[in-house]
Amino acid sequence: MNLSEYLRLTVIIASLALVPATVARGATVDEPLTAVSQPAGLRVSMVSELQPLAINQMHSWVISLHNAQGEPINDAVIQVDGGMPLHNHGLATSPQVTGRLGEGRYHLQGVRFHMNGDWELRLQIQHDSVTYRTTFNLTL
Amino acid sequence: MALMRQKRLTTLTLVASLVAALTYLAWQQLPMPLPARWSPQEVAILQSLALHNLPPVPPDPGNAVADDPDAAQLGHHLFFDTRLSADGSVACASCHQPQHHFTDQRPVGVGLAVVDRNTMGLAGIAYSPWFFWDGRKDSLWSQALEPLENPLEHGSHRSEVATLIRSDADYRQRYRSVFGPEPDQHSDDRVFANVGKALSAYQRKLMPGATPFDHYVASLDTNNDTDTDTDISPALTGNNLLNDDELAGLRLFISNAQCLNCHNGPLFTNNSFHNTAVLSAPGLLPALGRADGLRRAQADPFNCLGEFSDAGTNDCQELRFARGGDDMIGAQRTPSLRDVSQTAPYMHAGQMSGLAEVIEHYNNAELAMLGHNEAKPLNLRAVEKRQLESFLRSLTAPLATAEHWLAPPATLPHSAQPAAIQSDATLEQRVTQ
Repeated sequence: MNLSEYLRLTVIIASLALVPATVARGATVDEPLTAVSQPAGLRVSMVSELQPLAINQMHSWVISLHNAQGEPINDAVIQVDGGMPLHNHGLATSPQVTGRLGEGRYHLQGVRFHMNGDWELRLQIQHDSVTYRTTFNLTL
Repeated sequence: MALMRQKRLTTLTLVASLVAALTYLAWQQLPMPLPARWSPQEVAILQSLALHNLPPVPPDPGNAVADDPDAAQLGHHLFFDTRLSADGSVACASCHQPQHHFTDQRPVGVGLAVVDRNTMGLAGIAYSPWFFWDGRKDSLWSQALEPLENPLEHGSHRSEVATLIRSDADYRQRYRSVFGPEPDQHSDDRVFANVGKALSAYQRKLMPGATPFDHYVASLDTNNDTDTDTDISPALTGNNLLNDDELAGLRLFISNAQCLNCHNGPLFTNNSFHNTAVLSAPGLLPALGRADGLRRAQADPFNCLGEFSDAGTNDCQELRFARGGDDMIGAQRTPSLRDVSQTAPYMHAGQMSGLAEVIEHYNNAELAMLGHNEAKPLNLRAVEKRQLESFLRSLTAPLATAEHWLAPPATLPHSAQPAAIQSDATLEQRVTQ
């Protein structure tokens, strides 16, 4: 490695140092996360019951499901998985939908994030013999 | 002529090599200048690590006497009592030694014989939802039971523990005042579980103390409590609470060195499980870690959902929604870094003797023997590794627990106290056996 490569490496390291500083701010996902399913047909949103959202705390979310006409869907089966793609690991816990709250709302229990950074929550939703998928991204 | 050209070429090569070597050395060894100020984002991270932002000890719904002062007194006696062992020589305090931040300075613990795991420190332990390196226990009270019956540790049995509580007048009286009925009216299993609950009530009092790092973060607060403008964000230096090496190490800790991913929050741990490719100790099989630990916790009659727990189903979310399986193969619990300079050797079987070795391990981040390594190589320079170690050493302070909890209680018979019996000679004999 020559000197110019060292200098380039220095610049890269210095710029990397800025990355955590921009993402580690306490996230406040107080607005519901919203997404459209794949295949299209469902409007999905979810909001944390822990506000502000924080790491290392077991907490629950409420997932809301509506069809394209905006009517609530109460009889879907939802499975949730996720992780941190950049770190190549999954969720710290195995969250489960434990109750149907009516008006298309579902109670998701058992979520605990154990690191700051970029997280993915992946939902698999079964409704009327169709399997829908959607992914939410959030930064803690 | 040709000879002269050859000589000149040799000289040039030598000079170039020397310059390259010196440049490399300078690159490895010379510290970068510190920036003048912390950014607001960095200040938020520093605050998230400070001890004064540690919330109160969380409740333990599975233990109805978790915060009962009499239960803590009873647990204090039990913690130092060697009668809770097969031959009357081993107490909890034999390995969890208060003078060493509740560790034993050994790679692995030595009870009645040599065990296969490093003794974990106990300061701030009440904040963890999971216990042991592999998380095979889901409460502090339930954790306290296993070593009592492990043949390598206390080698006792729940019936012997119950007999001691029933036969010793002082324990009978203390048991009745905490749990109500006489111990004779409870089954061996119930008395055993209650012994764990008293031991937990005591250990919930063991707290880390404020370190130079915490005083430093507090000083940023007081100097800048009205500043919101980034132009007047707090200066890095300006007081003598942390020196330049420690400050540089702190900057690395919260950025390039990636430590903060797992060692986060005021106790510098997320109390979660990670595979970081730590090799098994010589002579031991690679540890399955949390993949095995969770299976054991789920099958444990003393877990949060079991009949000896005081918790309702909804209080047991950590157990009900825990993640196990192949993802967790080789994953061990993140230890706190508070007082880390006082708790060597490191890792689940004490595989690493010093902090420099640990930092080198994470800097290289090699492939895991079992499962996959979550960490990635850091490419830290030599000077940066030293700075990181300097910072880690600044996370040291005396415990914040009142002195009288850190010694055997005066009312415990002297003959039952560990220091009277557990001599170094006895230990060495067990290590060599």
